[in-house]
Amino acid sequence: MKKLFPTISILALSLFSTVVSASEKLQWHGFIAQGLIQAKDTNYINDDGDVSTELTEVGLNLSYQINQQLRFAAQAVYINGGNRYNEGGRVDYFMLDWHAYSDENDNTHIYVGRIKNYTYLYSSVRDVPMARPSIILPQGMYFDATRDLSVGGDGVYINHKHDSENYGHFDFNISSSQSEISDKQKQIMLGDFATGDLDHKLDVQSSVYWQPSDFSPWRFGLGALTAEFDYEKGTGDAFSDGKLVLQRYTANFNYEGEYWEFSGEVMQERFRLENLYFDGSLVDRFSQGIYGQARYNFTDKLSVLGRAERFYGNKDDRDGKTLEASSGGLIPRYFAYQHTLTLGMSYDFQPNLRLQLENHWIKGAARLTPIILPDPVTNNKEDWQVWALQLMYWF
Amino acid sequence: MYVGRVDAAVIISHSSIETKQLSTSQLRRIYTMRQTTWANGQAIVVYTLPSSHPVHQEFTKKELKIFPYQLDKMWIKLTFSGLAKPPIKVNTMEELIDAVKSTPGAIGYVNQNASLDGLNVIAMEAK
Repeated sequence: MKKLFPTISILALSLFSTVVSASEKLQWHGFIAQGLIQAKDTNYINDDGDVSTELTEVGLNLSYQINQQLRFAAQAVYINGGNRYNEGGRVDYFMLDWHAYSDENDNTHIYVGRIKNYTYLYSSVRDVPMARPSIILPQGMYFDATRDLSVGGDGVYINHKHDSENYGHFDFNISSSQSEISDKQKQIMLGDFATGDLDHKLDVQSSVYWQPSDFSPWRFGLGALTAEFDYEKGTGDAFSDGKLVLQRYTANFNYEGEYWEFSGEVMQERFRLENLYFDGSLVDRFSQGIYGQARYNFTDKLSVLGRAERFYGNKDDRDGKTLEASSGGLIPRYFAYQHTLTLGMSYDFQPNLRLQLENHWIKGAARLTPIILPDPVTNNKEDWQVWALQLMYWF
Repeated sequence: MYVGRVDAAVIISHSSIETKQLSTSQLRRIYTMRQTTWANGQAIVVYTLPSSHPVHQEFTKKELKIFPYQLDKMWIKLTFSGLAKPPIKVNTMEELIDAVKSTPGAIGYVNQNASLDGLNVIAMEAK
């Protein structure tokens, strides 16, 4: 599947250069966002806890309609989130969109190339500042540290839409893709002592969304994913050859009224490490997360957001007693959970110029990095906060 | 059914389109990019005015029966996740009329005072 990407690139570029473009066929869009952020008591943003400008997101995309059935779409992004993920430029998506089937009630699209995942409410727009509800997304569901693994990869995505007079709108999604894992991404997951290679072997995601009728303000979704990573140890490595398996089940809802918007997601994730610590070692646990949020639109320009989230790293050790005991007291129990309350505000100076502000009150450190070997020296507080503001412009 | 649609927007398309009537559901499917081809198989090119434009507000609430912010959210998601060709935004009604006149497969909306010469007018099905 990884060889597909260059092939698609060449195909798309050659088509792109030979077809004379017309404005309704070719469209450009982009965004630029810069913010300030601080998480004083943890390494979430940076190691010193100072106010940081590491909150930059820039994107530029194009859509080109090649013919009635084929479209090419690509987006490049630059993102900087400090310690949250690997800073730098990325090809976000680069794909051919084949409108394979179409009638009055059914439409099928097949996307091939560098695709994004569309499984959760904000999977495909986690780096698109004006499309997400807050600067920092709920970390149980949208864990920044695994951003590059979750956002998409090289592969295929199939979407089928069914519009029924009696039963409403359905969206069926299935995708399979693999991503390259950078050294920084590996370090975020495994820490500084991992010298080997982490390889994304398998990733299959599926979801279904349902809007009960044409004019219903409600939408419901279910999603599932399974992903596998192989680890091959390097020289002087703290880890052994092993395997990481992630399996996740989710459900979500979304309500959009004139003034109020409500949404929420719930998930359970299996986290399985085979042989990674030493040959024969096994970690197999289930984490659980849930959040609910409400937005009130005072006017077209001003809205406020409130959100409550709970996340447990291990459903069988919600208070972290076992974690603390099994580490001989080295890992405090608050690394077993991370619960967050969020208040935010959003103001549109223009229809495409927005300022967002927010504060998060957090209890626990289960979603701080590194994941496999936590850092209780830097992350020595159970209660901590993050505040952020970001100015964003798009066209 | 609406009585006295004085404020309502008029749905227009390129003159080559034969569709004379759409239901609210069909129009909404077109504007939310769920339906991307006309009955004759031709690709639909969707034109819109800026979301703050009074005719857009009117069109969105009365014809699509959706709040303008919902449409904006949907378009932003489609545009920046690569899923669909986003609608083409023009700044004025005059620009929109010119664009719909000259683009095969185009659809748009204007207020009732606009001159409709050289355009196909699409009536909304009464419910």
